[in-house]
Amino acid sequence: MLLGAAFAPGAELAAQAIAPLPALGACPSNDAPAAAVAHLDPGVSLADSAALRATVFGTPPKDMAPMPSKVPLAEINIALPWARPVPDVFWFDRKLRVWLSAQGKPAPLAIVISGTGSDGNTTKLSTLRGALYGAGYHVLTMPSPTFPGFIVSASSTGVAGDLMQDGRDLYAAMQEIVAHLPRKVRITEIDLLGYSLGGANAAVVKSIDATEKKLKIHRVVMINPPVSLFLSIGRLDRLFAVSIGSGDDALDLLYRRLYAELANLYRASDKAQIDEEFLFAAAASVLKTDAEFSAAIALSFRLDLVNMFFAGDLYAGTGIVVDPKHPPKVGDSLEETQRILRNKPFSEYFTKVFAPYYLKHRPDSTGTSLIADSRLDIIGDTLRNSADYYAQTNRNDLILDTRELAWLQNTLGSRIAVYDHGGHLGNIGGRQQVSDMLDMLAGRWPGAAN
Amino acid sequence: MRSALVIGLLAIVQGGCASQSISIRSVPSEDPSAENAAAAASAAAFAAATANAAAGETGQAIQGTQESRPAVSPSDAPSMYTYDPWERLNRLTYRFNARFDEAVFLRVSNAYRRVPPPLRSGVHNFFGNLSEVDSVINYALQWRPKLGVRSLGRFAINSTIGIGGLFDVAARLKLPGAPTGVSATLARWGMHPGPYLVIPFLGPSTLRDGLGFLGDYAASYGVDVAKLYRGNVSWGLGVMNAVDQRSNVSFRYYSSGSPFEYENIRFLYVRKRLIEDEGLRAKDPKKGAKSTTQQENKAEEPAGK
Repeated sequence: MLLGAAFAPGAELAAQAIAPLPALGACPSNDAPAAAVAHLDPGVSLADSAALRATVFGTPPKDMAPMPSKVPLAEINIALPWARPVPDVFWFDRKLRVWLSAQGKPAPLAIVISGTGSDGNTTKLSTLRGALYGAGYHVLTMPSPTFPGFIVSASSTGVAGDLMQDGRDLYAAMQEIVAHLPRKVRITEIDLLGYSLGGANAAVVKSIDATEKKLKIHRVVMINPPVSLFLSIGRLDRLFAVSIGSGDDALDLLYRRLYAELANLYRASDKAQIDEEFLFAAAASVLKTDAEFSAAIALSFRLDLVNMFFAGDLYAGTGIVVDPKHPPKVGDSLEETQRILRNKPFSEYFTKVFAPYYLKHRPDSTGTSLIADSRLDIIGDTLRNSADYYAQTNRNDLILDTRELAWLQNTLGSRIAVYDHGGHLGNIGGRQQVSDMLDMLAGRWPGAAN
Repeated sequence: MRSALVIGLLAIVQGGCASQSISIRSVPSEDPSAENAAAAASAAAFAAATANAAAGETGQAIQGTQESRPAVSPSDAPSMYTYDPWERLNRLTYRFNARFDEAVFLRVSNAYRRVPPPLRSGVHNFFGNLSEVDSVINYALQWRPKLGVRSLGRFAINSTIGIGGLFDVAARLKLPGAPTGVSATLARWGMHPGPYLVIPFLGPSTLRDGLGFLGDYAASYGVDVAKLYRGNVSWGLGVMNAVDQRSNVSFRYYSSGSPFEYENIRFLYVRKRLIEDEGLRAKDPKKGAKSTTQQENKAEEPAGK
């Protein structure tokens, strides 16, 4: 009897593992963007303080748009016919998992794509789902093509991060899902959204659909999209190097400092066990300076990269951490593999896994062409000329430099809203963001074509 | 009867990965407006914690108590490696638990979450109140009489005014719960967490926590409040308790999608335990000056790493 007694503490902790600051809705690890913090020269300030804090904490609750009190939800697990054989260590990622909130009447379907490394049911997706469902849409939320669950179940290459290839995989998965929805979900039109890297993914999918016309996607809203993935990952690597350092010693030192700080805080707290109140105190104690906020953001990206790197290396057979002839089995320890990977920056994923794979599989490609292909520029003309592409971003978004922001503004003209505050994704679900997003989707935004 | 139930469950778990190409399952609906209210409360709690942190630095707070042990320094922290000699078995058990959770436990708990919240919180309070008995015993064994009396008081108030424990009246009277158990008692008297252990159905644990779990059950069984533990209803209550616990934990196996989930959970679980042990031992100034984690550090560092 009392079966659950031992289950609870472990699982509770695990939940915290997934979302370091769960109740704050902040969890950078869930909602990590594709790109990072600008202005990172050592000695100079890491980034705008307000932007760092907004990025970690998300939209202040008092600024949130009104939300419905009940949003029905269904979980869809789908096996995709083109999926590659599932490696033993990824046994749990066999099917693609997406989430649907259906209206009881005919309605437009909004498909929302998650940010870098994230699954299809993050806090940010949940917020967008609430706003869209409340405005009368069916809502389908999908993981990022860089999420391990997508890489294993839906990627045709296993090597994530190429805008066009990821777009094709997403597009194929969307068709399969839409074709299998229950008949009672009556769809009048399909619109697409995405935040962070998902924003860029959404625009690319729409551009593919514009020629293939399988889904007849109407409008797209990119929320805080990156402009160049390659430049963004460079900034992320620098952010990590500046705020944490390099090599295992740096991470070990960070861990030891955190451990000691939390242990002392806990000893002083006179608590019988670690609870939510303590976690708030802990977060408040370890998140004070810009460097600490930067480290939190850099670390959350690194945890996502570790997964993507591992999957890419395994599928591409590049042998950086996985022996292609003897891939690990379910019972094998991955601790050493993880230790090696957590010291590897994005640039190493690019040079040792991504580039070798694509250079081999695309005969006429070069390093330079792969970098060029990581820019939203690849659909620049479409973005410029079609009235169905929209974007929302912030002047202090950490993932854009001034030139990239200017490029977005020049390319989209009146079809972009640029807000003064929010950092990266720190105003998702806010009143202004939601009302503009709904106007853009419905064609009410100035400059919209009918 | 019971073995038939177990075999049935195992069959479901094994068949849980049946391969129809699509499954659509409705899950508890979301309430974004309530979530926003909860987020507002969290933000306020965080702001308060920040203000506290600014007001008194941690180091001073520790010196302020009758604490004679030195503060934990970064060099005292245990290694990032975790002592896990049973890893192969643990990993297979972890997968079993994940499959069981996906096929049975999570579905039952999702269904249970359709029960109106006041009823569910009554059930939750009821089991929480029963566990106060175990807390009273263990606070006595830990020689922490103040907390023991608090648990006893909570049990008395909630069992009577709180109608058999269905309402947590004591919490409203500024007597919040602080459950403890045999594992904490063992830690208090110097036992280390020991090797990491994944227990079938229950999840992440350590050898000491596993023993503690058995001890807690034995204590409750021994006291046998209202004959709930030895009577005919005990199995039903056990299942109910498990479902209640599961429905209060938002964790989902492999929602991280990560091949390193086992490592990540193990790392966090054991660090959480070690930090809690620091707190328990800090209550006893006579114990050796050397921090637990310094010793753990040696025990956990695998040879050659």
